[in-house]
Amino acid sequence: MVSQLIVNGISIGAVYALIAVGFAIVFSIMRFSNFAHGGMISACAFIGFYFQRAFDPAPPFYITILFTAVCGMAIAILIDTLGYSRIRKKKSPGIYYFLMSLTFAILIEQILTVFYGTNMYGYPKVFQNETFMIGDLRFKIMNLVILGVSVAMLIALILLINKTKVGLAIRAVAINAEAGKLMGINSGMIVTLIFVIAGILAGVSGVFLGVQYSVYPAVGSIMMVKGFIASVIGGLGSLSGAIFAALALGLIEIFLTYFLGARETTVIMFAIMLAFLFLRPQGISGKITEDKV
Amino acid sequence: MSAYQTGLIIQVCITIITVVAVFAMTGLAGMFSLGQAAYMAVGAYITFVLYRELDISYFLTGILAILISVFLAWLIGAPTLKLRRDFFALLTVGFSQMVVAVILLFEKYTNGSIGFSKIPRADGLLWVSLLMTALIIFWIRNLKYSRFGRMCIALKNDEVAARSFGIDVYKLKLKIYILASAIAAFAGILMALRNRVITPDSFGWASSAEMQIFLFFGGTNSLTGAILSATVLKMIPEFLRGINLFGTSLQEYRTIIYCIMIIIVINFRPQGILGEVELTTKWIRKLFSRSKDKAVQKSENYE
Repeated sequence: MVSQLIVNGISIGAVYALIAVGFAIVFSIMRFSNFAHGGMISACAFIGFYFQRAFDPAPPFYITILFTAVCGMAIAILIDTLGYSRIRKKKSPGIYYFLMSLTFAILIEQILTVFYGTNMYGYPKVFQNETFMIGDLRFKIMNLVILGVSVAMLIALILLINKTKVGLAIRAVAINAEAGKLMGINSGMIVTLIFVIAGILAGVSGVFLGVQYSVYPAVGSIMMVKGFIASVIGGLGSLSGAIFAALALGLIEIFLTYFLGARETTVIMFAIMLAFLFLRPQGISGKITEDKV
Repeated sequence: MSAYQTGLIIQVCITIITVVAVFAMTGLAGMFSLGQAAYMAVGAYITFVLYRELDISYFLTGILAILISVFLAWLIGAPTLKLRRDFFALLTVGFSQMVVAVILLFEKYTNGSIGFSKIPRADGLLWVSLLMTALIIFWIRNLKYSRFGRMCIALKNDEVAARSFGIDVYKLKLKIYILASAIAAFAGILMALRNRVITPDSFGWASSAEMQIFLFFGGTNSLTGAILSATVLKMIPEFLRGINLFGTSLQEYRTIIYCIMIIIVINFRPQGILGEVELTTKWIRKLFSRSKDKAVQKSENYE
């Protein structure tokens, strides 16, 4: 039983890691917390749900993931053009970005609520219930698929940031956007690219959350808080810290839910984050972004 | 006045109280909280659950509830206000989710997601809420023009610069957060008395965000703007009740309409509708006197 819980915990932790990284990557470049991420997750969960149901023999799962990722990208670009691009041009203070992302989060959630109500929708069965055995352990195939895809995406992202020229530009803009511009980096392009990456991550995590739990308009905002807790514990803006914290959080949550219950878990998780901020505000990675004059 | 009109006026009063409290925090000190509705929940639930269980006057339990929300605000604020503003804003979202989880956890007392409805009828609620709204507006207005308010505005514009002028930024933030939370708890008690039923759903982070949207719509630097936009935006859904779109009443779309309005406002007039304009007595006096004409006459006399 314990080893099974560990597998479940790691697989849900991997989804949290996708969310936390999508959150942290926008934070590290733009220095604001992108609340709209939750809205994008909800929207993508619904898009995946309808895509899966639209065709009679349900399309292969990887096609759904790809389609939703593209849709997530499109939504992210749309939000960037409608919301952030004008603020960016005016160089407004960060609180406007924050308010804008918040507005988009509520807007998407409300549009979904008006059209679908607050009911929960279950994804059509793909292979959630198929299991296989290794020795005495029973594994759900779905968990392994989620784990595999998430890990692959995270590795690809880390390679992109650390090994390629684009990644170098991203890191440069994260340190200082103005200096980056002077060095010939198209920082507007980089910002759009960051939103595209966040959109893809939101799309994939939306589908996984839908498959794992069920689809309802508030799914994104609830899960985003968990992703946020992970990125705080990991150290805001640090990708590797966020990934480790998300995995740990998934494990803790699965164990607490199994032994105590879901409602108690929400309260304890919040207490853990509060305690963490008390004791080690710089997070696991020890990197903290200070305001400068 | 019909019961409907009375109810609407009380609701507008409650909205004004909450938005004015948010103004003190976001408008003056630049702190962005999404947990103010959770303090309303704390105020409402503690007051009336204790009133039911202990069978003492709800004035006493109400005061206790406000004290508890002050303590909670201190507990949340003390570790987070030392950090970046984003931490604080996001932590308050977690806080509002936690409060809802706690309400569901104590289902035995709070009646869970069905809603707590054993709330006594209060007479003269209209006058109490009008009086309290006026008092709170007056208080926050005085706060804005006091030394405390000027310190807050300095802090909002540049935290590092404010610190270098010897302002204890951390203490100031904590004070204003506690103040705003206490006012929110009071508004929660009023709201429970008006609706006579409270459900955990109505205190989620979306309703806290609604307060922020009202504030930014009117202009973060203007108390008048905050009050006006709270009144107008709260009334709009009542006029939309009769109109239908896609088979549902337009009232269902109110949050969507708010969101689209705020997106337009931030894009094209980021300082809000009223900007920095305040309605002051000086302004009214100018309106009614003909000082301008007199001034013109005077200058003519000199010639």
